[in-house]
Amino acid sequence: MFKFLRRFLKEEPDEQALLREKFAHFRRLLDNNNAALAIMADMEEKATGDFLFDSGYIYGQVEALSGAVARMIEALHVLTQDRYRHLDLVYNNILADTLQTLAAVPAVPETPFILWLDQLDREMAASCGAKMANLGEIRNRLQLPTPQGFVITARAYQHFLAGANLAAQIEAILEETDVQDLASLEVVSQKIRSLIQAAPVPPELATAMTAAAASFQGRPIAVRSSAVGEDTASSFAGQFATLLNVSPGSLVDHYKAVVASKFTPQAIFYWKYQGFSLNELPMAVGCLEMVPARASGIMFSLNPQAPQQESIVITAVWGLGKFAVDGSVSPDIFEVKRGPGLPLLARRLGRKTKALAARRGGGLEELALTEAEADQPCLTQAQLQALAEIALRLEEHFHGPQDIEWALQEDGTIVLLQSRPLRLSAPAFQGPRPERPSVPVAPLLSQGVRAVGGVAAGPVYVLRREADIPQIPPGAVVVLRQPSSRLVQVMDRIAAILTEVGSPTDHMTILAREFQVPTLVDVTGVRQALYTGLEVTVDADLAVVYPGIHQELLVKPSGPPEPWRQDPVYAKLKSVLAHISPLNLLDPAGEDFTPAACRTFHDLTRFCHEKAMDAMFQLDVEASAQAKGVSRYRADLPINLFVLDLGGGLREPGKPLISEEDVLSLPFLALMQGFCHPGVRWAGQVAVDFKGFISVFANTLYDQNKADTSLGGKSFAIITDKYVNLNSRLGYHFGLVDAYVSTERNDNYITFQFKGGAASLDRRERRAQLLALLLEDMGFKAQAISDLVRGRLVKYSQEDTAKILVQVGTLLAFSRQLDLALANDAVMQKVVAAFKAGDYGLQSLLEG
Amino acid sequence: MPARILAVDDEPNMLRLLKTILTSKTDYEVVTTNNPMEAAKLLKEEPFDLLITDLKMPVMDGMDLIETVKQIDANLPIVMITAYGTIETAEEAIQKGAYDYITKPFRQEAILITLKRALEWRQMQLELQKLKQ
Repeated sequence: MFKFLRRFLKEEPDEQALLREKFAHFRRLLDNNNAALAIMADMEEKATGDFLFDSGYIYGQVEALSGAVARMIEALHVLTQDRYRHLDLVYNNILADTLQTLAAVPAVPETPFILWLDQLDREMAASCGAKMANLGEIRNRLQLPTPQGFVITARAYQHFLAGANLAAQIEAILEETDVQDLASLEVVSQKIRSLIQAAPVPPELATAMTAAAASFQGRPIAVRSSAVGEDTASSFAGQFATLLNVSPGSLVDHYKAVVASKFTPQAIFYWKYQGFSLNELPMAVGCLEMVPARASGIMFSLNPQAPQQESIVITAVWGLGKFAVDGSVSPDIFEVKRGPGLPLLARRLGRKTKALAARRGGGLEELALTEAEADQPCLTQAQLQALAEIALRLEEHFHGPQDIEWALQEDGTIVLLQSRPLRLSAPAFQGPRPERPSVPVAPLLSQGVRAVGGVAAGPVYVLRREADIPQIPPGAVVVLRQPSSRLVQVMDRIAAILTEVGSPTDHMTILAREFQVPTLVDVTGVRQALYTGLEVTVDADLAVVYPGIHQELLVKPSGPPEPWRQDPVYAKLKSVLAHISPLNLLDPAGEDFTPAACRTFHDLTRFCHEKAMDAMFQLDVEASAQAKGVSRYRADLPINLFVLDLGGGLREPGKPLISEEDVLSLPFLALMQGFCHPGVRWAGQVAVDFKGFISVFANTLYDQNKADTSLGGKSFAIITDKYVNLNSRLGYHFGLVDAYVSTERNDNYITFQFKGGAASLDRRERRAQLLALLLEDMGFKAQAISDLVRGRLVKYSQEDTAKILVQVGTLLAFSRQLDLALANDAVMQKVVAAFKAGDYGLQSLLEG
Repeated sequence: MPARILAVDDEPNMLRLLKTILTSKTDYEVVTTNNPMEAAKLLKEEPFDLLITDLKMPVMDGMDLIETVKQIDANLPIVMITAYGTIETAEEAIQKGAYDYITKPFRQEAILITLKRALEWRQMQLELQKLKQ
């Protein structure tokens, strides 16, 4: 009566319109969730090293991902009446961190301006460039001879540029210059180089350099670039300057000349159009005592032209090494076998008509050589052997073939000037993928969707419950019904994952990709075909599972090749992914499932998706169901069900009386099909009689409560073509089913809740446990708390979700007859068995 | 003789990855430049069998480059790298005489196959020319 009056007093908000709007937001959230998951999966895939991408790709994906997640959060705010406003702050922080990582240039370590070669090892490449770091490694860790000297660090470079305010001046030059062709670029490049050479070096830096240079006691030096990242950014770095045989007294000027050599036309172009900054490629500069070489050259620890010959190649010229590489003279070429005794395989003596030498007083000079000198080999057999031994030692130490620069001093001792990884060319075009060796046994399974590629083998472990995850043995092939992101706890030690359902873009597979665990999802029948302890080999690329361990198939998930890991774009993607893909929110029931606990975009999507499903589940539908436009559902059952269509759920929305044939909503149809299962007993109440036998009482609760609307005798369903939210009230029983069923697997879910009843608490609790058991059997994650049972099932295919929904409908109807029956646990087990056997009327119990 | 390839992309990191792949999986000789204006100069100075270039570049984009290159070597196959979503422009590039295009990000295998095909086409063109003479 009150409500009735109120309608006249003030204008009621249109509850149905509100509900429609909520549903639209929910839909939007689901769409953006899918988009976000797909982007994350795509980025993880790119991080495997199979792809080429540029920084534009990373920027684009971060933008798309952050947009999708922002829209999810907006939608969640509407769905929850701003309950999780704190998410905005968390999102902004995660986004800011991600963008910062995206824009970051690797930091230059805080070091003194000068580091002595005696202090260096290869871990110090970030301070002094790979060239000098490796030379330090050779000198200090391998105790091989190198010239003495020091490096002017990357930190010093930063100090120089900042002190002279060079960045702003260079920007100004670029600003005023219109780069139209190569010539104009060359002009700008020259201008900037002159600017740097004219810039003052801060006094503290100049003092440090001069003091260090004094250690050479006036002996001439070589000043060489050793830019940080020079080895990885060679595509535009070009050739930086090396000054040979210069006076240590004017080190400051030499230093500036080497720094200026960084600003090649290529670098200028990059600067102008790609936001290159001064802090990229920080220029460390090596200062080494000049080696007055009798002979010099290059050696490769493995012949790159013919690696299969297992030989070392050594080239040599008289004097300084430059002529050995620039083709001014034809050098001696020696080939030494990489085997016992290091025998000489071949030698080709060049005619070395001239030599480059250090001129007394500074600079270089070309010396003409006599006929005899020209044809004489630069190296003796003993020297060749000594060089070959060094080549092999360096290769072993640096874990790969090396390209080595050496010099022979007047006294015949060898000095090393540089060692860097040698890049080997493949002999010819390699096919896209080697064929798999054939396996002599038939596969156990050959289906499923590849979520993470690769091959792995091990004993099967069938995971029945998430609580058993800690029991998973290392090296296991984990088999489970549906993807569980909690598996992340053991992903570092399992061999492979096989799931009965799932999609390549769900939470778990994104994590599996990160850990490179071969994973197949949607492997129908996997839990029947495999059992714990069975040894199998999983080829996720081909989606097959073989019995036994097949070593010949196993390919180590090696991750991307070495050059990849060093690559700046690849490294950038990996560091950006650290803000994106790890999942910290593993347990929706856990205390830390909160906005504040979100650390990554993945966490945010998980949180929003879960809470959105909760919000839909908790919709207050009563007001809407009482308003106009609601249809009454006619069934041959004693239920009082009203239906509101939000779009596409009914053939004729608003029709007062509807029945099955009027319904288009797939989930509602499925639910009602199960609910109206003819096997379910509606006419009476199952109970244990005073003799302890189960029988049917004619006096039913349904009859008692039929007219009692105050207890909620009405049931409501809100539907669309793909959605149902059913509040079922049957007597004292409150059932709630919320489900989404579509072709997009990631959207699909069923939420189930049941509470109440007229029996004593122990029987109601037993029923809750029974329902939880049956729900788990269907694939739900279920939980019974007192007489309340809750379950959720997500990401099954459209067909499977609909099938399960039929069972849920039956379960809903089935459960109402059990109030009095569940006198003890034994009966409960019998009832579970009866339901599983399809005996919904409990005939087996009545007869037994 | 291994094929010589000129790669042009204004992003040096992309160039480096490209060069890494090509030199580790094939015997091609790869020359790179991040400056499209330098491409013409390099093509005039040295013989190349194929040009692979980014479409979107400052000052001179891939489309301009096609015209320049066609004047230097009409038979040089050009493979265009385009970002996802610019397929129409890529098709326009084919109209202008590019041999093929590839959308980034792309799989390593994809670029290897594309280049191999383009080089085979180049070989055929050269043989055809010889027969005509």
